Amino acid sequence: MTDTTIWDATRAAFGLLISGDTELWRTIFISLRVSIIALVIATPFAIWCGYVLATGRFRCRRPLIVLLQSMLSFPTVVVGLILYLLFTRRGPLGDFHLLFTQDAMIIGQALIAFPVLAAFTLAAVQGADSRIRETALSLGANRWQAALTLLREVRFGVTASVLNGFGRVISEVGCAMMVGGNIAGVTRNIPTAIALETSKGEFAQGIALGAVLLILALGINIMLSSLQGRGVK
Amino acid sequence: MSALFVIEQFVKRFESRELFSIPKLELERGASYVLTGDNGAGKTTLLKALAGLESAQFGAIQYQGREVGADVLGELRRDVVYVHQHPYLFDTTIAANIAYGLKLRGIVANEIKRRVETAIEWAKLGEFRDTPPLRLSGGEKQRVALARAWVLQAPVMLFDEPTANLDHASRDRVIELIEQAVSDNNCVVVACHDQEIISLPHVRRLHLERGMISSQ
Repeated sequence: MTDTTIWDATRAAFGLLISGDTELWRTIFISLRVSIIALVIATPFAIWCGYVLATGRFRCRRPLIVLLQSMLSFPTVVVGLILYLLFTRRGPLGDFHLLFTQDAMIIGQALIAFPVLAAFTLAAVQGADSRIRETALSLGANRWQAALTLLREVRFGVTASVLNGFGRVISEVGCAMMVGGNIAGVTRNIPTAIALETSKGEFAQGIALGAVLLILALGINIMLSSLQGRGVK
Repeated sequence: MSALFVIEQFVKRFESRELFSIPKLELERGASYVLTGDNGAGKTTLLKALAGLESAQFGAIQYQGREVGADVLGELRRDVVYVHQHPYLFDTTIAANIAYGLKLRGIVANEIKRRVETAIEWAKLGEFRDTPPLRLSGGEKQRVALARAWVLQAPVMLFDEPTANLDHASRDRVIELIEQAVSDNNCVVVACHDQEIISLPHVRRLHLERGMISSQ
């Protein structure tokens, strides 16, 4: 692409965003909907898992931590492949007709977000002052109340884990493409749309969606930076 | 006076090193104790064991005639307040820190507010009411932690080196608290090196040395 073409495509991209292009904004809406629901589902389980791994003393704890940390680098396309095999018509979960639906994308993104959320929570809780839990217990808290108190004390770390998880799922393309199928207006999200539009030579759409992703990433980083500043003691 | 705590054949080890071995120790209801011993003798560990925060390799602790296990732990932790040598204050307001234990006990909001105000006044913390805990000095944090423990009016209070970080005025407040707690018929155990507390006439002395505990 020449410089002139890039400039023209960028101008056209912002024109699409400002004019409220239905298809473009529908894609953005699907992206946000799928990622936010996936996070809402994954977050409580992941935080609980991170907390238990950080504070529990049981036989398989160390291998589980290694497994969790390994899952951080698990390619999203492999998650997509595994889910595809499960959800395909002849697969073990084929009867649920989940393939090429937003529900399948939500499941995939929840699985992708889980290790990020759990590993960051684990790190936040492991790094917490041991006196927090002791103080809570000694003042009469039961173990659930002590856990909530501890999580509240490390809330900046836990929130950072949620933002990191959001950053990972909103931009992942492999799993969404495989289990969503990139169906316009149904399962097409920002990353899959960028891949498609670029392959068709429709750079304006790709740039517009890329700009939205960058703005989201910037917003997340500003929030993270602000939280890290507040969390420094 | 009847025994509140009975510790029998209590052995605490860290890996191969035996920290202490206590054949038998009784702490009586309404009595106060000073626990002395060199650094590393196990004073903090013993206090934490009494608070249900540490377990032993062998032996048992009985609280009010019942062996401390999962079924008694909740009751024990509501009755026994342990204050760290360097207390941790929750990242909230001073008032919320003091109210923490009261809320856990299901006390109504108006009563919590009244008791918190009394505790703030008692510990002379009025000027720090709106100060974030992170900005308090070590002595001021200790006073908040003492107020947080005192407000619960718990039957047992365990203080780990409570005067170690305090200026003269704050130290006097702590000693006043110990005397007041004893007069309230509480069981108070203070691990410390502070001669003024050690020499209090109505306080019994326990000494940990080379893994053994002795009454003096």
